[in-house]
Amino acid sequence: MDQDYEERPGWVRLPGYEEAPYPRGASVRADGARRMRRASNWTAAALIAGVAAATGYFAHHQPPATAATSTVTSVPGGTAVNPQKPTLNGPVATSGGSGVTVTTGPGGVKTYHYRDN
Amino acid sequence: MATATRVLPAAHEWAVIDIGTATVGVAERDALGTSARVAAWPPYYLARVLAAVDAELARLDKEASRFRNDSEISAVHGSGVESHLLSEGLAEAIAVALAAAEWTGGLVDPTVGGALEALGYDRDFAAIPKGGGVPPGPSHVPGWRSVRLDGRRLRLAAGSRLDLGATAKGLGADRAASAAAEVSSDGGVLVSLGGDIAVAGEAPNGGWPLLIADEQEPASRAPAGGHHAVRDARRGAGQMVRLAAGGLATSSIVCRQWRRGDRMLHHIVDPRTGLPAAGPWRTVSVAAANCAEANAASTAAIVAGDQAAAWLAGQGLPARLVARDGTVQLVGGWPATDGGLVEAPAARRMPPGLRGGRHMRWAR
Repeated sequence: MDQDYEERPGWVRLPGYEEAPYPRGASVRADGARRMRRASNWTAAALIAGVAAATGYFAHHQPPATAATSTVTSVPGGTAVNPQKPTLNGPVATSGGSGVTVTTGPGGVKTYHYRDN
Repeated sequence: MATATRVLPAAHEWAVIDIGTATVGVAERDALGTSARVAAWPPYYLARVLAAVDAELARLDKEASRFRNDSEISAVHGSGVESHLLSEGLAEAIAVALAAAEWTGGLVDPTVGGALEALGYDRDFAAIPKGGGVPPGPSHVPGWRSVRLDGRRLRLAAGSRLDLGATAKGLGADRAASAAAEVSSDGGVLVSLGGDIAVAGEAPNGGWPLLIADEQEPASRAPAGGHHAVRDARRGAGQMVRLAAGGLATSSIVCRQWRRGDRMLHHIVDPRTGLPAAGPWRTVSVAAANCAEANAASTAAIVAGDQAAAWLAGQGLPARLVARDGTVQLVGGWPATDGGLVEAPAARRMPPGLRGGRHMRWAR
């Protein structure tokens, strides 16, 4: 479409043409297109980088299925608490020889569960 | 710990256990003649962790259970020949048992299978008659040096019967924990097989809390077979400890008892006599670099009697020994306080499972 703005024989420039505050048509269009291409390229690059960063983040920081309920802020030995790890207060397993488990109920009463096998 | 709340849709029925927090998934099912408990974090890994554990438990049961007629070890016992070409898995299990025997100077010996059967422990514990019969006499134990294992080639004297009970559950826990850790790369897992516990991956803050139970009364006084529960605050309170790495196992002469004539028997056999160990300890808990090693050490300590504490201390293994009168002795840095961290040594004490420098999978 740039040829629409080419000067043709017999045409006369309007007065004040050289003083026009704006660039001439063809170059205006070309500059605009270049600016748009640059902007699009930067936008695309930013989007790609953002998506990549977000994907990487969520791949390594999956949100917990449910909110953590433990509220303990210190652990034995005074070691620092890693907020990304669980902190457990009660036993998750019992080592008592051959299938004995123990649960603690209200009042601290322990119930021993035997597996006679 | 509360009761089961729902059942996972898995090949085996794992019951989900509510431990009061949603940050860790816990499930339990019957396995290997006892109960298996698995804990995993993040909890959304639990299903895939259980699948990995299922595969390892099924493999070990098919390889090494002497209570299954279709197991590989039962085929070895019933073959009537001395030379066998084993699967990789059973070869590993026997290699670990022989390594434990070498390490403990024969206090743990896989050739006590015949002696155990003579005592009446020839079937699943639930099926053993808890009374009657006559007191057994001493049995001849062929000794672990009579077993030859070269890679997968086993030479076992005709009539010898292997029992891998002192190491197999520990090995199973190690295998299962390793397999589970592979499918939960950024979390942590705990596998307990009847109280023999292995952990892998990242432990929770401060380590996995465990209850070390201290039984005072024989289970055989309660109704035989299946589950039963006893509420009694007077029983031994035990101790809560934390484990961040390695394995922890407890051996006890109290849990599996039965009577023959006027004599109360238990399942830990002294290879020197072929009879139940008669030492001063009723329960010994040990932490080690892996659960197979902890399992072997706790069993050896029951058999070692008066020498047990010195041997464990010399090995640098944290241990808690409870005497028959309830006296507790701690060695090797076992924490004295409730909730203390049991620091299992990172390096193995037991020799590699197979001679010739081959490292076994369990040997972390």
